Amino acid sequence: MAALVDPVPQRAAEVARAYGISPRMTSRIADLAGHVDGAVIATPNHVHRSVALDCIDAGIGVLIEKPLATSYDEGREIVEAAERTGVALAVGYCLRFRADVVFLKELLDAGYFGRPMRFVHQAGSLGGWAPLSAYNLDRKTAGGGVLVVTASHFLDRMLFFWGFPDGVALRDDGFDGPEANCTTLFRYSDKDLTGMGRYSKTAPLPFGMVLETDRGVVRVADAEGAAIRFIEHRHPSLEQVVRPRSAAPVDDDVFRLQIRDFVGACRERRAPRVDGRQGLDSLRLIEALYAHRQPLAESWYEAP
Amino acid sequence: MTDAEKRVAIVGASGYVGTTLVERALHRGERNVVAIIHSSGNAWRLARWGVALTAADLLNRNDLAKALEGCTHVVNCTRGGNDVMFDGLANLLGVCRDLDVRGFVHLSSVLVHGDPPPPNSVSEDGDTHPATGSYGWIKLQQDAMVQKAAAAGLPASILCPPNITGAYSGYLLAIVDAIRNERFALVDGGEAPVNVVDVHNLCHAIELAIDRGSREARRMFITDDEPVRWIDLVAPLAKLAEVELPLPGIAAEALRRMRDADTAMPRGSLGRSVKHLVSSDVREALRKDPLLARADAWMRRTVGKLGTRVEDALRSSIEGPRRVAMASDGKPLHVALCAQQLRGVRHSCEEAKRRLGYRPQYSFAKSMAAFEAWYRAHTGMDTDAWPLLRLLMQP
Repeated sequence: MAALVDPVPQRAAEVARAYGISPRMTSRIADLAGHVDGAVIATPNHVHRSVALDCIDAGIGVLIEKPLATSYDEGREIVEAAERTGVALAVGYCLRFRADVVFLKELLDAGYFGRPMRFVHQAGSLGGWAPLSAYNLDRKTAGGGVLVVTASHFLDRMLFFWGFPDGVALRDDGFDGPEANCTTLFRYSDKDLTGMGRYSKTAPLPFGMVLETDRGVVRVADAEGAAIRFIEHRHPSLEQVVRPRSAAPVDDDVFRLQIRDFVGACRERRAPRVDGRQGLDSLRLIEALYAHRQPLAESWYEAP
Repeated sequence: MTDAEKRVAIVGASGYVGTTLVERALHRGERNVVAIIHSSGNAWRLARWGVALTAADLLNRNDLAKALEGCTHVVNCTRGGNDVMFDGLANLLGVCRDLDVRGFVHLSSVLVHGDPPPPNSVSEDGDTHPATGSYGWIKLQQDAMVQKAAAAGLPASILCPPNITGAYSGYLLAIVDAIRNERFALVDGGEAPVNVVDVHNLCHAIELAIDRGSREARRMFITDDEPVRWIDLVAPLAKLAEVELPLPGIAAEALRRMRDADTAMPRGSLGRSVKHLVSSDVREALRKDPLLARADAWMRRTVGKLGTRVEDALRSSIEGPRRVAMASDGKPLHVALCAQQLRGVRHSCEEAKRRLGYRPQYSFAKSMAAFEAWYRAHTGMDTDAWPLLRLLMQP
């Protein structure tokens, strides 16, 4: 941790004090040129673009918290600037560093579970993270609602597993503000695969994914250290827990793994695990979903 | 004062009742409601409407005064830690008096009478003996604060709802989860009365009370005004949990013993205090200090070297064996939820009907139907994907 940048110097000083560190503190990115290898951009989403471009101009690699930007066009500006200058650009889809996600991708690529036919993913909670600025509750500053804040983590993994879908649909409950609930639908015609995602910020939904294949059903809770469970159609009374034979301890702190990956990308001039192009694909998918928005029905009460 | 001149602040607008109040005003096309929230984390249901949300900390009186400026009426739906419940309410009442607010509605609870409530709490005149420190006790102290402010000139109403039903009801969700996870058992076949109120009925009562505050600020029960039994409540929820009736049963006396064991306060002693000091909960709090965290790490390493059996024995000696009440088949019961069946009293909303002209807008059946419609949509029960989604409901 070489430096803290905040337009309000007092806030940077509070963070330094809270963690017992003495980094360089400034309100201007230009002051960092030559002093740091890379920068983590953890600002509200609508300023990712300007801060990232300032860093890239100064030759500083960037790890940008997800989403890459609030629109595809802004994201493309960042990616093109990084590619032009050759600085590292990583996007903060930290769950891609989880051991079960990496292992599941290996199993899917190896066809271990058979041919995927249908998947569902869901994540729901009553509220959640509360940034002081409340930027998350404004469609303009967040780039969307629960689709961006919660679902985008799975969208990134879905792209990682199966690539970009050729059919999408979205139902959500947003009016003039960001949606609090949404249902997403996906189709991969070439793979004969369909999927559904359900996301909520108004009530709990157990986090996890279920994948139906021609051989059985795979279930994975969306949590650190989650087991990959497989029930084969031909042995419906058995549930297999699929895990690597290696007993080597695994670092399960995805944030630490992500930072290490980013530092390596900056110093070794290699691509990070989740690079700008992948972050841009997520934005393209989010925009495709919003382009197909339909209202989510919510007439719960009969007339009194 | 005409409706157009009114400006109503909903303090705690991101909660279940506060959000419903704001949504009702929006549906009526009213724009004179000020939604005041503590933080953005829980305000998603409101934010989707694009309404302006005012953030204010009840513990910061200046903050609060600024947020309430120009408001003629205030509804208090806040909930929080003891500081918010006491100091926060004191600030809120003080600011309301300073701003010459014309009406103050305070959301209290039937639990001010205690849990279980005394038989004479059919009406609001019944005895109030909540256990010290309980939620009902906190609400009772709050009621006294509001009544004092009312006597000093702030026209106020105190509404006491029981558990709240309807779409989005967290209470009903908890029961569905308990039934699904085999953590719920019925007492005496579920014949005991249950007090509930639909969220819209409660909001309707709040809307009626806004203009009818008094210097006495007497408590009023707000219920659905129907003789509902526990079996009426849990039978439709069991269907949502995909659990066949009848549900497991438990004798009232057995449940009473479990509840008493759960809520019993241990007697104080030096040994117990030392054990508390080295318990995992306390150590977790202390670990936030770097120096104490290092000391804790050293202690854990040292104990770890003694082997797992010694470590387990020490943990058991400090924190005691895990006390888990079991249902007949060995599954742990949700005692706090099940023990609500021991309350036994049906609170009457006659006072609210008489003083506010309150009439429930939705019947219990319609309230439950609304919850079912919401729950089915929320979980995807009626979609083709349900056979897969339901697997995620399993532990």
